[in-house]
Amino acid sequence: MRPIIKVEHLSKQYHLGTRAAQSGAVRYVTLRESLVEALRASFRRLGGQKRPPMETIWALDDVSFTVMPGEVIGIIGRSGSGKSTLLKVLSRVTEPTSGRVELYGRVTSLLEVGTGFHPDLTGRENIQLNGAILGMRRREIEQKFDEIVAFAEMERFLDTPVKHYSSGMYLRLAFSVGAHLNPNILIVDEVLAVGDASFQLKCLGMMNEVTRDGRTVVLVSHDMSTIAQTCHSVVLLQDGRVERIGPAKDVVDYYLYNVLLPTMGTRHETAALENA
Amino acid sequence: MASRNALAEAEVRAEYTLPETPVVTICPSRTWVALNLRDLWVYRDVLYFLMWRDIKVRYKQTLLGVAWALIQPLLTMLIFSLFFGKLAAIPSDGIAYPLFAYSGLVPWTFFANAVSSGGNSLIGNPSLITKVYFPRMLIPCAAVGAGLMDFAITFAFLLILMSLYGVAATWSLLMVPVLIILTTLLALGLSLWLAALNVRYRDVRYALPFLIQLGMFATPIIYPASLVPAEWRWVLALNPLAGLVEGYRSALLGREWHWLVFWISSGVTLVSFVVSAYVFRRMEKSFADVI
Repeated sequence: MRPIIKVEHLSKQYHLGTRAAQSGAVRYVTLRESLVEALRASFRRLGGQKRPPMETIWALDDVSFTVMPGEVIGIIGRSGSGKSTLLKVLSRVTEPTSGRVELYGRVTSLLEVGTGFHPDLTGRENIQLNGAILGMRRREIEQKFDEIVAFAEMERFLDTPVKHYSSGMYLRLAFSVGAHLNPNILIVDEVLAVGDASFQLKCLGMMNEVTRDGRTVVLVSHDMSTIAQTCHSVVLLQDGRVERIGPAKDVVDYYLYNVLLPTMGTRHETAALENA
Repeated sequence: MASRNALAEAEVRAEYTLPETPVVTICPSRTWVALNLRDLWVYRDVLYFLMWRDIKVRYKQTLLGVAWALIQPLLTMLIFSLFFGKLAAIPSDGIAYPLFAYSGLVPWTFFANAVSSGGNSLIGNPSLITKVYFPRMLIPCAAVGAGLMDFAITFAFLLILMSLYGVAATWSLLMVPVLIILTTLLALGLSLWLAALNVRYRDVRYALPFLIQLGMFATPIIYPASLVPAEWRWVLALNPLAGLVEGYRSALLGREWHWLVFWISSGVTLVSFVVSAYVFRRMEKSFADVI
């Protein structure tokens, strides 16, 4: 059998200072700064000087792995290890600096619930808009509309603008659209933990169903119990590199004891984490 | 219900055989990228829904609703007629000044609103860029396209005004669709370029209202092009919108055509649209990293 996702030597470099997510502070380059920099650079070139090297970071560094059809693969690692960047590259949100990914199927990514939701539009209108943005065709949305509404338990509030929704209702509706996508490959960032406890259970049930019936899923989560339960194999990222790849249980154990443990206080805490 | 459906879907999926060639290949793009028209077609529903969102949201929670589309050019026309038509007595090529001003204001209002919402469309929707993939070009396209609705309303009123002034229809009216397409392409080209620039340089956001204000004076809306001395007329022709606005007056109000100016404007419009589209595609790949 051939793999459905092939990731080959994937690297992504960010320039510190232009990376918006860096240190949480958003930094814009103004036109004036760029013009001044361009002037300086041309003067340096006249003077035969080289441009001072810009500080860079490799968010992904030579990452390679393959995913078989029907496989559920988890991506884990500490924050800043490159998980989100990997998902962004796989979702075509951002371009890699080098390397290559081949996807042999229709892809949908859920990096956020409710992308494109507009507070002034009603629940009904937002379902249609969000569905289209996530890659559903207009007819597909019409077909699944009732199912989406029923899953979100939203029948009564369909024609209310979503700005009047409670945050739980909002998330439920948003997740419900995402849960009814029908791609060959589904890419999911920790969007599972939404809504109240009963809805969370429903979402997990949905996830299990989705993963059981042979869809290929790439899942990022901080929740090791979810990962161990739902994934067949796991990729552990550290500083943008693949630290370990293999069966879910082995890699999760390795991560808990060899990566997390040294940074944490006692064995007791890790045990608590594992049982969580 | 969900599970029954999932079962049916699983059967469908079991038959899914991997294609020989990848459906999607992700790799660093070269400096000059193709326009990727195939993707634009695949995601055409997104364009439809984004346009529809812009139209729906525009006048939500307003008292006057869609009437706002008409109020803006109408009040401007009344004020212009009073100050420029009556008091300053600016000539208007033999056309009644209110009609003259309004026929210029209709395409101008569309153009100005389209460029201003198109130019700010990307930075106004950051999550559409950082959280999901579809051709980003659709976002400014939808912003400009949504403006066509207001354009239709103001244009309908122009036709009413023409009949009130007893303007006879001529064969020139057939040029109106061509002019509308050219005006849209011009607004779209400028929007694509400004929207892409705006992602990187927020200066655009502040410069835009000011530039639009200036643009109104660089376009023969208050005054006819014939007011400009003949030896300087070519400067006016450099502004493609000038030729188009004059075109509307020729097509609708039976004023004679200045074909040379029209062809120059059309040429500039088409070239600037194609160049902007390529510039947009080139800058597009860094949007998610810098927005």
